Amino acid sequence: MTVPVTRKDLMIVNMGPHHPSMHGVLRLILTLDGEDVIDCEPILGYLHRGMEKIAENRTILQYLPYVTRWDYLATMFTEAITVNAPEKLENVQVPQRASYIRVIMLELSRIASHLLWLGPFMADIGAQTPFFYIFRERELIYNLFEAATGMRMMHNYFRIGGVAADLPYGWIEKCFDFCDYFLTGVVEYQKLITRNPIFLERVEGVGIIGGEEAVNWGLSGPMLRASGIQWDLRKVDNYECYNEFDWEIQWQKEGDSLARYLVRIGEMKESIKMIQQALEGIPGGPYENLEVRRFDRAKNSEWNDFAYRFKSKKPSPNFELSKQELYARVEAPKGELGIYLIGDNSVFPWRWKIRPPGFINLQILPELVKRMKLADIMTILGSIDIIMGEVDR
Amino acid sequence: MENDHLQNYLSDWLVKYELVHRSLGFDSRGIETLQIKVEDWDSIAVIFYVYGYNYLRSQCVYDVAPGGFLGSVYHLTKIQYGTYNPEEVCIKVFVPRKNPRIPSVFWIWRSADFQERESYDMLGISYENHPRLKRILMPESWIGWPLRKDYITPNFYEIQDAR
Repeated sequence: MTVPVTRKDLMIVNMGPHHPSMHGVLRLILTLDGEDVIDCEPILGYLHRGMEKIAENRTILQYLPYVTRWDYLATMFTEAITVNAPEKLENVQVPQRASYIRVIMLELSRIASHLLWLGPFMADIGAQTPFFYIFRERELIYNLFEAATGMRMMHNYFRIGGVAADLPYGWIEKCFDFCDYFLTGVVEYQKLITRNPIFLERVEGVGIIGGEEAVNWGLSGPMLRASGIQWDLRKVDNYECYNEFDWEIQWQKEGDSLARYLVRIGEMKESIKMIQQALEGIPGGPYENLEVRRFDRAKNSEWNDFAYRFKSKKPSPNFELSKQELYARVEAPKGELGIYLIGDNSVFPWRWKIRPPGFINLQILPELVKRMKLADIMTILGSIDIIMGEVDR
Repeated sequence: MENDHLQNYLSDWLVKYELVHRSLGFDSRGIETLQIKVEDWDSIAVIFYVYGYNYLRSQCVYDVAPGGFLGSVYHLTKIQYGTYNPEEVCIKVFVPRKNPRIPSVFWIWRSADFQERESYDMLGISYENHPRLKRILMPESWIGWPLRKDYITPNFYEIQDAR
């Protein structure tokens, strides 16, 4: 009778592009030695749609429906950066009311994104219930968005110079109700998750990144702040009107997955604070920049007369980008979302480079899983918070 | 935040140490832009790292003109404790189209890992000393450099009227 000999080679396992989790189509080729991970190689590109090449042939207004498909859980940020980049390039002023509306939408979108990060994170660890709880709150946010913009997820709401339409009557009161309800919801999550000993066992001390290492790997967003670096673009760059609100940067020192979880929960609470301050202080006024600026190539053209100045209220279809370049960025919930825009004296950009936070944050995954067990991969991958729509573009 | 007084701080510092570079002025937000030659890039990159620029924010490539050069752009920032007005610089390295090779900065700033792979994938600039330079977004067997301006999509036929 033959006795089977235990083979001592390394095993190569493929966590294929389809898997039951909401990260998307990410393929990991793992080299395992028993239960320890020796190496991990992520393979991307399953959702590559050529967004950058398409952008070279679309005007900004035509391109706006595409951008919500990068990060389809925090759609307002993608639209915000698409609109901020030409605004900064051409120095277009945004009215105060529009800026406040944008901040409210962005913070609601940040809460929505962190909620939909929390659900699959817990589901990967094994707890299936929070996955359903988050959708309850996310439905409320969807209802608010649908009332204001017309679409639950892929709102085509931001425009160069403001927003597309003003908030409907009664929206502000509904939003206040949502904020009050959500604070009790966060308390519920904390009772269920944060002091849960099983959760802490799975998550504490897993995937530790030091501060300097995080900066060297180019991380941004909650990953950087969980490692002790207080870097938040809303405070550093002072875009929109974030400097008029009173809020703190959420950060932790340890750099493990638990720290990232606490940073994101803290950010949700800070977002509610900001939304409440913005709703109380929202000014009246226009929601869009109504001035039309036409390049006066012909000096005394009739299109520059007073009669035509306010006629066409939406400047975007003929919005020409001058021949300059710019790197604009926003603090998306996943990290720093940036656009490097090179204009050409035409309505199409010459180069539209998207700097996706998920793409850059994913680079550190092979380093982090090197000495971990197989089960920790899902914890680490979940805590990095990637979404393949923007990783692959 | 725009720099209110647009001065070539970094360019002056580099001139003081006699490092060959060319200042390309300022971009739309007032960020200094410098051009570095390909041969000097690896040594100057180390100098920047030592000077304090520890955060490679974004690395991208673009096609300067059809038939002309390819440009590789690096945005560097200093992240320090407690400053809210970080110093930033934008560095461009131009290579000719025929044989585009640039030294990789992976060993200095780890965040260039996937970004240089994507630059290789999209425009064909090969980065020397990069540990795993292969295609990342396109399938590995793809031929051609998609983001070049003279790229022709294979098997793409537009519907035309038969005349």
